[in-house]
Amino acid sequence: MRVDSNTQRGRSVTITVDGVPVQAYLGETIAAALMSDGRRAWRFTQGGEPRGLFCGMGICFDCTVTVDGRPNVRACLTPVADGMVVETEQSMELSA
Amino acid sequence: MTPAEQVVQTEVVVVGAGPAGLSAALAAAQAGAQVTLIDTYRQPGGQYYRQPAPEFKGVRLVDHQHEGQLLWQRAAAAGVKLFAETTVWGAFEGIRLALCGPGAPSQIQTRALVLATGTYERVAAFPGWTLPGVMTAGAAQTLLKEQHILPGQRVVLAGTGPLQLVVAAGLARAGGEVVAVLEGAALARRALRRPWQTLRAMWGQWARLVEGLSSWLALKKRGVPFDTGWGVVAAEGHRELTGVIAARLDDGWRPIPGTERSLACDTLCIGYGFLPATELARLLGVRHEWRPELGGFVPVRDSHMQTNVPGVFVAGDGAGIGGAGLALAEGQIAGLAAAALVKGLNPATSRKIQQVAPALRRERRFQAVYAGLFAPGPGIDELARPDTIICRCEEVTRAQVEDAIRQGADTLDAVKVLTRCGMGNCQGRVCGPSVAALVARETGQTQAETGQFRVRPPVFPVPLDVLATQADGQV
Repeated sequence: MRVDSNTQRGRSVTITVDGVPVQAYLGETIAAALMSDGRRAWRFTQGGEPRGLFCGMGICFDCTVTVDGRPNVRACLTPVADGMVVETEQSMELSA
Repeated sequence: MTPAEQVVQTEVVVVGAGPAGLSAALAAAQAGAQVTLIDTYRQPGGQYYRQPAPEFKGVRLVDHQHEGQLLWQRAAAAGVKLFAETTVWGAFEGIRLALCGPGAPSQIQTRALVLATGTYERVAAFPGWTLPGVMTAGAAQTLLKEQHILPGQRVVLAGTGPLQLVVAAGLARAGGEVVAVLEGAALARRALRRPWQTLRAMWGQWARLVEGLSSWLALKKRGVPFDTGWGVVAAEGHRELTGVIAARLDDGWRPIPGTERSLACDTLCIGYGFLPATELARLLGVRHEWRPELGGFVPVRDSHMQTNVPGVFVAGDGAGIGGAGLALAEGQIAGLAAAALVKGLNPATSRKIQQVAPALRRERRFQAVYAGLFAPGPGIDELARPDTIICRCEEVTRAQVEDAIRQGADTLDAVKVLTRCGMGNCQGRVCGPSVAALVARETGQTQAETGQFRVRPPVFPVPLDVLATQADGQV
């Protein structure tokens, strides 16, 4: 959930997540964009368990996604770019 | 470009741009050394000075963000060169560092290295801790301070440490719903055990006291409960977090039967303090000692932050948890000493080092009291059930770890070989303390004896082509 108050985020951009367009803002990390879009998990482990953001600082590698074809990218550290193609192993939406 | 051209020489290298690193880089540059600062994140500041995303405009700075910006500006003005978004994945005698980052050389060579790598959060395994919605307190802090988003709709914070209180207040002020803040330590009782030492340590720490009080009031004003001597013992939900079970804790931090209550929430921010990031120091052969009150194994240093390895200095929380004030003081001393190593020690530098002494003493007094207030009890490592995951990366359960120990694995590396614990992407950073506690308990050893996962480069995952372009073929 974005906290707006006085903040003007960067320019609005569109990324695709598993083929679905998602609106984001320049400056946001992929993780922040995914969470603002209502997702809590975007990776499935080998055992089939859903994972999302855990440490938020690039240590745990739970939040990884494939970005523009590059796998094992930490969503918590990587800023979005216009037209970025994000692939998760499968996505899971939080029911609000 | 041949590999050899990618090795850059510099006089002083500082790794980590948090309070200790920025302070060290500034001091070394002002003492006349050529300084290169290397940091993982997009912007300097580390965790403590975590900045809003650079593309965001009109941001009202909070906490210590402004202070951090000023410190970096001073360092930049003094000529410090920064390689941001750069990971130091290897460190070799010489002193040579292997780097991976945009615009950074593949290797950097120096005679004086200040490691200011900070910490990561100490977590413990409990049922449901791998559910989406469970994160560290620091993760919520970053989401709020850098990304300006709330981590969830209904948030519980638990574990131990002032971070939870500060994050909770930040979330509440930003309009988030904070269900409860549960602090495992019986703070009042611990503070009163050594009242004079506590008072003396808090004298001069006005900014900290004000920050703590202001956070506590922000919660009180909004009716958010702050309970001491309480903890989360399980997280519940199917595929995502829907609630937690909280319980009163005894002196060993074990849940007292009959006190359990459920709290509905979609986000749990958990953390039990911090672990010094000592990988690079250990790669270089720096001697460490077991100091649980400082976060675990910490480097042995002299009064100038110099370790047993010539030219290698360690400063800040990465040398033992002590907070930002201590990090600034230690960083300054390490930076001055590093510059002196390269440029020669002159009276001006000696004097500057001596001038830091009163601040250092004051911050060490605080460090001692802080450690006593927030040290978690053994109960935190006893919450996992047999089917609870201990190693998140490789999905190894407590039952599997204990099975390996019964088969004769009496060190972390032995458990690793039998179970794959610690072989995943995080390289044992998250599960290390949990595995160590299990090995210690089952074998009757102390955690000093069980040790840590052995460290080898690369200390972070790097693409194969980065390893392939190493000069001299040395990896």
